[in-house]
Amino acid sequence: MDISQDFFSCYGLVCDFSIDMEALRQTHRSLQQQHHPDRFVSQSDSVQRHAVQVTAYLNQAYATLSEPLLRGIYLLQLKGMDPLAPTNTQMPMDFLLQQIELRECLEDLHQAQDPQPKIDAMMAQLEAQANQLESDFAQAYASSHLDQAETSVRKLQFIVKLQQQLDALEGELLD
Amino acid sequence: MALLQIAEPGQTAKPHQRKLAVGIDLGTTHSLVASVRSGQAETLPNSRGEHLLPSVVHYLADELPQVGIKAQLHLVDDAANTVMSVKRLMGRGIDDVKRLGESMPYLFEACDQGMPLINTVSGLKSPVQVSADILRALVQRGESSLGGELVGAVITVPAYFDDAQRQATKDAAQLAGIQVLRLLNEPTAAAVAYGLEQQQQGTIAVFDLGGGTFDISVLRMEQGVFEVLATGGDSALGGDDFDHALAEWMRQERQISAQLNLAQQRFLLRLARTGKEALSDELSTQLSFEGWPGDGAYAALELTRKQMDDLLDPVISKAIRATKRTLRDAKVALDDIAEVVMVGGSTRNLRVQERVAELFQRQPLTSIDPDRVVALGAARQADVLAGNQSGEELLLLDVLPLSLGLETMGGLVERVIDRNTPIPVARAQEFTTYQDGQTAMAIHVLQGERELVQDCRSLSRFELRGIPAMAAGAAKIRVTFQVDADGLLEVSARELTSGVAASVQVKPSYGLSDQQVADMIKASWTNVEDDRSARSLREQQVEADRLLEAVTMALAEDGERLLTTQEQQVIVEQMEQLVLARNGDDHHAIAKQIEVMAKASDAYAAMRMDDSIKRALAGKAVDQL
Repeated sequence: MDISQDFFSCYGLVCDFSIDMEALRQTHRSLQQQHHPDRFVSQSDSVQRHAVQVTAYLNQAYATLSEPLLRGIYLLQLKGMDPLAPTNTQMPMDFLLQQIELRECLEDLHQAQDPQPKIDAMMAQLEAQANQLESDFAQAYASSHLDQAETSVRKLQFIVKLQQQLDALEGELLD
Repeated sequence: MALLQIAEPGQTAKPHQRKLAVGIDLGTTHSLVASVRSGQAETLPNSRGEHLLPSVVHYLADELPQVGIKAQLHLVDDAANTVMSVKRLMGRGIDDVKRLGESMPYLFEACDQGMPLINTVSGLKSPVQVSADILRALVQRGESSLGGELVGAVITVPAYFDDAQRQATKDAAQLAGIQVLRLLNEPTAAAVAYGLEQQQQGTIAVFDLGGGTFDISVLRMEQGVFEVLATGGDSALGGDDFDHALAEWMRQERQISAQLNLAQQRFLLRLARTGKEALSDELSTQLSFEGWPGDGAYAALELTRKQMDDLLDPVISKAIRATKRTLRDAKVALDDIAEVVMVGGSTRNLRVQERVAELFQRQPLTSIDPDRVVALGAARQADVLAGNQSGEELLLLDVLPLSLGLETMGGLVERVIDRNTPIPVARAQEFTTYQDGQTAMAIHVLQGERELVQDCRSLSRFELRGIPAMAAGAAKIRVTFQVDADGLLEVSARELTSGVAASVQVKPSYGLSDQQVADMIKASWTNVEDDRSARSLREQQVEADRLLEAVTMALAEDGERLLTTQEQQVIVEQMEQLVLARNGDDHHAIAKQIEVMAKASDAYAAMRMDDSIKRALAGKAVDQL
């Protein structure tokens, strides 16, 4: 197993945003079966260490490929771009305004009476936005408009962060 | 000859060439050893046919220690030399142990690494040594039952065990001279026992309620692959809480003073347990206070099933809430769960079974003895790892139970690996230096869910030295965490521009109390608000310190040369204001003062910039540039 190759090659996938999730999962299973340290318990330390490294690489690859946001970032990194660079902070004004609004909504939810329907509504709204951005990204990437693709993936990062916070809030309300 | 017996992994060894391997459930109150014989996993009894080995060791002056039932006999008459519940001490420091208080009647001494040592007639014993004595007894039983030397063992640990506790368990095995094939999480082992028996496919939940701990794991099973999706729980929740709730009710019903002595407490708890057991067959029972160790006599008390259920419900509800959270972490809905497996003695309680059935809308699986199921699953895994199974039959993919991180400026924890990440895993994070000319960096590794260092478990500290002196922020220090299939961590650090490296196998010697570990698991939920403002405060304080330091250094360097006395005065005043705000606890106030201060020094910064350009260019002709 060559752990210097890119994640797509390692899973026998074409380097593209849209991937067959089921195939990815199956391949991950069978690669784990072959390379997991459990398969090398009776062998030398160095063989076992190598197995740990390979499996760690596979887990990282799988985590990256199975999340649209991480997959998008990774595709751009393979093209030599750095969408996460700290200097990369310019965003369209309308998007930022919308983010501020969403953030305020999220803050208000902390105090809301019967927040669940509002959480559900916001979840749905974020989900729709995420889907839109993913398809924007796919299109831009396919037509090699990498700057546009980068903007989409950075917007997506904002949305995913909000989704996580909303999810955490819902978790707190469960108690 | 020995060489001829080695089978390639994936090939079935002939029956007489089978490698002998066992699964060991090293429990708090009792332990078990199990093995696969003729395709069946079974727990191994001693010569008297007893399967459970009480996890008790009795130390004697000039003889080998007694383990199990023989040791148990001395719990009262030789309490100081008879060690029980040692699992609660594994991977803990002396300070944590002191907090366990009266429940541990031993004389403790701290050794230089802060590990608690128990003072017995046979010398000082560490929890690792006591566990090793229990393991030795189990290994001997395994070898005499199976008739040969063992190649190794799979030892189970609670899923929430942190790195220190896992490492201590592995050390105990090493001390006992047994090769650890794998440390396996208890709920995962239980899932294996059920899954292989019943050829399960799909997503299952393992509900593991013991005497003092609760573990919940969600797994997906598919073609022999058991993948843990999430694990959670509460390390201070269990059947003991049932007994306490019932005892407290009895006390109130009979208006007994809350000032109970130890004997009275024990009396009520024993009565609670008797009542609890009686109600598993009856709808109502009489609790007799005959033999009450104290003044006065109390009439017998009737306890109905309904009353008991109402008393236990608040405790069970905690476990139900933890279950719901773990399902969320696993991104699995309640009706995705195909089976619920029950593990641990406290799941025999009918109300627990009822509540779990109600939550999942299905009857939980209880067909395998909840005391033995973990050892049976471990035996299966041991058989596979020893190479006795053919091909790709069983693979267990587990997750990290508690997040790992590093201390950053201001006592904050920077997460490097989130909990519930599949293991093995390797992650690297880059950090930089904070001060000009900094040549060393302290690396503090932590485990837990909270945002402040003081609330997480400190696993290890080490230093990366010999970083070449550079401007603050120019050095690039990459810290790499690697967690292996046992859940054990190794950390290394490297300065990228110079290649200076340091690494440690994390071998912690101090620890947290049970209560603190419980906090790690659950408090991240209840303290989110606290953490958030504490975090903002620390962040603003760090920012303020950075600004203060930069301006102080600049003023010392060229303040007098570039600024008038009055200009200097203005900046110094603003700095004093910032120090005041920084020492307060309002992060908004600090943020505001940072802004004011930055504005006040902006012009000065511009002047310094011009000045340094001027000096760089001084005396040079244009064509020299």
